[in-house]
Amino acid sequence: MSVFAVEDLRVTFRQRHGADVEAVKGVSFAVEAGRTLAIVGESGSGKSVSLLAATGLLNTAGAVVQGRALHHGTDLVGASAEELRRLRGSQIGFVFQDPQANLHPLKTVGAQVAEAITSHRREPRRQVRARVLELLDEVGIREPRRRIDDYPVQFSGGMRQRVMIAMALALNPGLLIADEPTTALDVTVQASILDLLRGLQRDHGTAIIFVSHDLAVVSDIADDIVVMRGGVVVESGDADEVYGAPAQPYTRELLDAAVRGPAAGPDVEAGPDTAGGATLGDPLLQVSGVGHHYGHRRARADTPPAVSDVSFDLRRGEILGLVGESGSGKSTLGRIVAGLLDPSAGSVSIDGSTYTSTGRRRARPRLDPRTRGRIQVVFQDPYSSLNPRRRVRDILAEPFDLHRDLAAQELEVELEALVNTVELAPSILNRFPAHLSGGQRQRVAVARALALSPDVVVADEAVSALDITTQSQILALIRRLREERGISFLFISHDLGVVSELCDRVLVLNGGRVVEQGRTEQVFSAARDPYTRLLIDSIPGKRRGLVRAGAPTGEEGRVHV
Amino acid sequence: MSDVAPARATLFLEAPEPEVAGLARSVLRDRSVRIGVTVVGVVVLLAVAAPLVAALVGHGPTEQFQSEALDSSGVPIGPSSSFWLGADGNGRDVLVRVLYGARVSLLVGIPATTIAMVIGTLVGLLAGFFGGWVDQVLSQVTDVVLSFPFVVTALSLVALNRTEDGSSRVSPVLLVIGIVAAFSWTYFARLTRGLTAELRSRPFVEASETIGSGSWRIIRRDVLPNIAPAVIVYWAVQLPTNIVAEATLSFLGIGVQAPTPSWGNMIADAQRTSLYQVQPWFLIGPAVGLVATVVGFNAISNGVRNVLDPHHGTR
Repeated sequence: MSVFAVEDLRVTFRQRHGADVEAVKGVSFAVEAGRTLAIVGESGSGKSVSLLAATGLLNTAGAVVQGRALHHGTDLVGASAEELRRLRGSQIGFVFQDPQANLHPLKTVGAQVAEAITSHRREPRRQVRARVLELLDEVGIREPRRRIDDYPVQFSGGMRQRVMIAMALALNPGLLIADEPTTALDVTVQASILDLLRGLQRDHGTAIIFVSHDLAVVSDIADDIVVMRGGVVVESGDADEVYGAPAQPYTRELLDAAVRGPAAGPDVEAGPDTAGGATLGDPLLQVSGVGHHYGHRRARADTPPAVSDVSFDLRRGEILGLVGESGSGKSTLGRIVAGLLDPSAGSVSIDGSTYTSTGRRRARPRLDPRTRGRIQVVFQDPYSSLNPRRRVRDILAEPFDLHRDLAAQELEVELEALVNTVELAPSILNRFPAHLSGGQRQRVAVARALALSPDVVVADEAVSALDITTQSQILALIRRLREERGISFLFISHDLGVVSELCDRVLVLNGGRVVEQGRTEQVFSAARDPYTRLLIDSIPGKRRGLVRAGAPTGEEGRVHV
Repeated sequence: MSDVAPARATLFLEAPEPEVAGLARSVLRDRSVRIGVTVVGVVVLLAVAAPLVAALVGHGPTEQFQSEALDSSGVPIGPSSSFWLGADGNGRDVLVRVLYGARVSLLVGIPATTIAMVIGTLVGLLAGFFGGWVDQVLSQVTDVVLSFPFVVTALSLVALNRTEDGSSRVSPVLLVIGIVAAFSWTYFARLTRGLTAELRSRPFVEASETIGSGSWRIIRRDVLPNIAPAVIVYWAVQLPTNIVAEATLSFLGIGVQAPTPSWGNMIADAQRTSLYQVQPWFLIGPAVGLVATVVGFNAISNGVRNVLDPHHGTR
């Protein structure tokens, strides 16, 4: 008998006004002891909702759950709150996405792990503490004796997620449900958490349900795969089969989007200095010796600088990747290049004219209008980078209002051309950002950046918040813009896979310093720096061949410069 | 004056439907908004209809009917067919005076709160947006104003307003509006400052900067529309407080001057003469008016806040 089997699960959200929304339309899956079931789908596919519904955690008003969710043969749909409470924690452990939000900030981690035990059984305090130490050790917290009385704020994101896993495993449950447990984490941390889960499963024979939007992430851990879309199961089966020979076009699309590795360019053989020509060659933007230190002068002695002594050139029509984990200073550097922040040392210049200042500390640098128009930014989160109270038309008309004096009709022509460039229909101009999907919003954000015909676009994690198929579309758009308009991109990302696929050259940042730079293929095939190698080794999907080797493959549809 | 700190000041950025029509529809669907709008509507209607009622019963708001409305020992009569809520100590019709009092309350409360909103929002926007020394100076000024005792300051201002021959330099109504506004803009300033500072670091504000928008343009286009709902809700929170403030001043005899009826000076009158013991409607009339107005506006602001709050229902 399966540890957990969901049969024909349906979830309907009753709307107070308007038609009911059926979020899950008859989903079935099962997981056996010692195996991992991965549920993969994009946002809105119903993957999280079906799990929440199956475990009685869906407490949204108006949600109607039908079907069966059998835990060792007991149906959880319609089980009493008390029965469910007894099961959760002891028989079913949960790990969620955001470890920042799921740990109580004012309780020590030891106390929180202990609570997972004491909320189900009475045990002497000494015994509980011993078990907590054992658990912390098992999930790889170094020196658990010293860390047990620390607060969550003293732990990094990865460590917090380990604590969450310790809580989930405290009573050695037969089933562990992990909902995007590594999505908020750095790639190296993600790799270690995946390792940890695999190890724990081997030791305890736990059944794991692993929910993710990324086929690459689950490829190393999954035994069985369920692909969901729009509330239905598109494809399910043994992982080897799904990865080896996907039956459904949608699965293939997801797999294609998950493939990581440097794309081939025709000028691969050419060294960076000989790849001349009018399109790619002359240095456009020069960053020399840039450093930045946050905080007041007095406090600076205690904190390391966010960025120190970074120099690089960005050439016309080049896509330069800026890679690093959280805290590496990549966003600070991006803000400096974008002219949103003054560096504390060094300078940035475009076509030889410096636009940063290290003198007077200005709260907000003001670039002269001409330079301002040449350097534009696309931000990470398309949900917060568009003013929710303005229509797309007003958002996009803003740059024209400011810099050019256009008659209403000319403006309309410009706006339509603009949305056309980012592959949106003109009807989108009349909508509010709230009515657009994530991908559409990011396209609008790109369109706004393009309005002033910039030479350089700083894309700060511009695809990180998007679904994987949407990601590939935006990446394709960036490539096309480089090709058609010769725009240079400074592409900042924590995702090496994306960077390797898109960028001509890569700059690896660690602790505010450049540890490695070079052509993408070079860096990915023969990294000199150990940190770079660690980053590359952590790219998920190796086992299933989802990572392309550094060598060019000449695949169709890749960009040709 | 107001101890209702803007504790649940939330940016209503994720409001589900940005269109005004859709928003208005969902606001009006809220039960407490409906109750509030009904109550306030009735109050406003009665205030507007005050002259009609006066004409109907034939009693002006300041006319004294000593022979009809007072008995032989000078005690006012209770409710009767011609004096629906009875009379006050001077033989005036309580109902007519309560209705005219509503006019005064709204006439003082609405402009005072609106002026306070404009000043406070401006100060808060500047402090929150520019930060640094601008913020320090403006926040200090706000704190200093907050530390003035309302009643004492009001009393001295009224004293200063008297000329030697006993008349007023400025119309007392204008003075009351000024005093109430001067004491309530600080709450708007604090609210707005917080909201603006939070918006200041939002990517869409930075995005406007990167296309070269100036500070004023960003404040006008990006910040103001996003804080407006919160500020407007707070206007409805502050309005009843300010109506009570006007009543307080009138009760103390330094607001709207007799014989012009105001809920505050009517309550004061009833209390001073102790006549409410024999003619309770003398006190109940203005008190009910005051309570109804305050409750009505509070219900509206509560409901609107609930509808606009994206966490509506989860807390």
